[in-house]
Amino acid sequence: MFFYYLDLAWRSIKKTPFLSLLMVLAISIGIGITITTLNIYKMASVNPAGERSSSLFAVQLMSQDPDTWENLSKQITYQDAFNLLDSEVPVRQAAMFRTGLAVQTDDVNFSPILEGVRVTGGDFFGLFKVPFLYGGPWSKQVDKEGGYKVVINEDINNKAFGGGNNVGKTLLLNRKPYQVVGITKTWHPSPKYYDVNNGAFNDSEQIYVPFSLAPIEEFESWGNNNSWRHEDIRTYQDRLNSEMHWVHYWAELTNPAMQQEYKEWLVRYVEQQKALGRFKRPDAKGEVSDVATWLAYNKVVPEDNKVLVGLSVLFLIVCLVNMLGLLLAKFLKRAPEVGVRRAIGASRLQIFSQHLVEVGLIGFCGGALGLLWAWGALSLLSSRFDLEGSLSQLDSSMWFIAPIIAVSAAIIAGIYPAWRICSTNPSIYLKSQ
Amino acid sequence: MFQVKPIISMLMRNKSGPLLLLIQIILSVAIVANASFIISERIGMMSRESGIVEAEVFDFTIYNFDENIEAETQPLQDLDIIRQLDGVKGATLTSMTPLSGGGWSSNFSYGSSEEDSKSAPNAAIYYSDEQFIPTLGLNLIEGRNFYPDEINAGGPELASLAIVSAQFAKDTFGDESALGRVMYRGNIGQQPMTIIGVVEKLQSAWVDNDNLELSIILNVKLTSSFNRLLVRADENAIVGLKEAIPAALHKENPNRVVRGFTTISEHRTSIYRNHELMASVLSLMVVLLLLITSLGLAGMVMFNIERRTKQIGTRRALGAKKRDIVSFFLVENYLLCLIGGGLGGLIAVQLGQQLMTLYSLPKLELIYPIITVAGLLVLTTVAVILPARKAAKISPAIATRSV
Repeated sequence: MFFYYLDLAWRSIKKTPFLSLLMVLAISIGIGITITTLNIYKMASVNPAGERSSSLFAVQLMSQDPDTWENLSKQITYQDAFNLLDSEVPVRQAAMFRTGLAVQTDDVNFSPILEGVRVTGGDFFGLFKVPFLYGGPWSKQVDKEGGYKVVINEDINNKAFGGGNNVGKTLLLNRKPYQVVGITKTWHPSPKYYDVNNGAFNDSEQIYVPFSLAPIEEFESWGNNNSWRHEDIRTYQDRLNSEMHWVHYWAELTNPAMQQEYKEWLVRYVEQQKALGRFKRPDAKGEVSDVATWLAYNKVVPEDNKVLVGLSVLFLIVCLVNMLGLLLAKFLKRAPEVGVRRAIGASRLQIFSQHLVEVGLIGFCGGALGLLWAWGALSLLSSRFDLEGSLSQLDSSMWFIAPIIAVSAAIIAGIYPAWRICSTNPSIYLKSQ
Repeated sequence: MFQVKPIISMLMRNKSGPLLLLIQIILSVAIVANASFIISERIGMMSRESGIVEAEVFDFTIYNFDENIEAETQPLQDLDIIRQLDGVKGATLTSMTPLSGGGWSSNFSYGSSEEDSKSAPNAAIYYSDEQFIPTLGLNLIEGRNFYPDEINAGGPELASLAIVSAQFAKDTFGDESALGRVMYRGNIGQQPMTIIGVVEKLQSAWVDNDNLELSIILNVKLTSSFNRLLVRADENAIVGLKEAIPAALHKENPNRVVRGFTTISEHRTSIYRNHELMASVLSLMVVLLLLITSLGLAGMVMFNIERRTKQIGTRRALGAKKRDIVSFFLVENYLLCLIGGGLGGLIAVQLGQQLMTLYSLPKLELIYPIITVAGLLVLTTVAVILPARKAAKISPAIATRSV
């Protein structure tokens, strides 16, 4: 029966090509716009930590004086980061910041390149599940005592060494020799949730060096450095001792009991610091946020995207109302024909489903065409505006979402016209024949 | 006289069609009014001038990782090398680039004593030299530029003289002249900085911030292994200089990374990219929405004409002119548009209110719904007139044929 209805629907569409085309066009444009904005929104709001989202926590500390910053800062001071590393509660934990170093190799013909570098602990790779190609992170001992070890990714490996397993070789960073201990696969979580300050959708750093080297090598900070009071910072040691917030801190707490334990540990830490004359606010505290909370807190999804999704949904509704009007017109025009069919025995349900199939067909065509519009719009936008690659790809889920929205929206719009047509009284039309 | 009464009674008799049209018009007005308001707001933002010869000025960075390089003298040497290249009109060392999205800002204090200390508005801080103003092509409207021997090399604590943007002077000192006023870093008395000049316009690095027009230039060349340079050159020479500058600098000492080379116009494009994206997507939405609404309307009118063939024929037979038939459809459309536009305007204002509270967008101005309704009236006139003229051609004979 379904295929017979499909055949009928196709004939009916062919009979009124202009009106049908209008409907397909209307719904396809609505779907196209909605899918485009939904895609940008979805790609920007994806939680890259996946199932680890609820066990990874960003740590914040309210170390500022009263009457300065009102809220928790996104980063913490170096001295706090240094102290937090002493906690034995988290499974893994890492302090980190971004710097830049000039990369050279032993090859004199290799012209130096400046690369963004993440200064962090060996736990970083386990925390964020960075996939290794060769080797692995540096040892705990390096984290404690410092050591010239480096982890690089595939791209740098190719650029500097021409690919292959180069664990054990030497890479020059700012003219200092570092031993390569690990080579990671290309890994670009988007959004870059562990450090959303430096462009949440930028590529992640390709080189990692130990946090314990910071006081020795005096890595500059390439991230945000926020002070709540004026401090005369001239040397690197001044910076390390200062109240400036410039370090990110992440901890892995796998279960609620551990999270509770860590929160209590932070309370004790704040108390201890208070005794030392820091953390002067009465509401001074430590806070941990899991990845989803962290992304929301940092407003990683631009508000513009939400406005666009909202407006495009309204747009789709306009398209549907438009279609509803046209369907009503089209179906009512066919009332005499339906009258005859009803008179020779078609049930209301049959008429109803026949028309819904027709509407569904129109919706499906609209959805398919809409997907094409969305694809076109996204590639146009990404070429015109240089969108980050991850934002402009049509997400695979959209291949299902688009036709589903299209067909169900069309059917919702079609219910009323189909009901109107199936409830007409056949006798009226038979009379006037 | 416009046969409003019969039209209304006709609309009331067959409610669903007109009702749908009404809903469509209401939603369209609400969306288009808000969208066009956001578009015009963004275009307004993007058209703010920076006060700089944007196409001629570009920035790049030099990272000296050789410990033997003298942080204090090397930049001076580099600037000399660059100034000798063909096409270069000027070069300066700076701590940040206007419109680049990153840099330093600070609140200085001013006043005669600690009691009446006031905080100056948060402003972008450019640490640079006497070449900054000519290189960027800024217009000095009051006071003077730095003299070369007033420029200190070292850290931010060496700043003693300031040149401010006119907007900063106005926001801080009102109508009083800013010349000779002293600002302090930290408490009153700490590190005094005297204002010696005012430039007409100098934007900061952040276009979404209130402090966009508030800038201060201080007389310090920061010594660091990381140097940012601004160069002004003939527009045609810039492409060649992207090659020539690294080559010349590497010849002098290969142990450094030279990169960047972005003109201020390119910085402008990239920093306003999100706004341009928003404006483009919304414009696309507005155009398509109007297209769909008018096509839908035209479709409905065509359908109505078919349904009303007999009615039209009868009216023509009874003496109605072709013009009357067309005006019948037009008045019907205007009625719907005005009612829908009125309701749509109300909803638009509500929607604007929601957007304002939820997403910190500015308040919708009333003129936008009004313009939208006016535009809709014009557009729908076209959409209705074309099919309605076909209707007017219906011969009176048709009406009598099948009765």
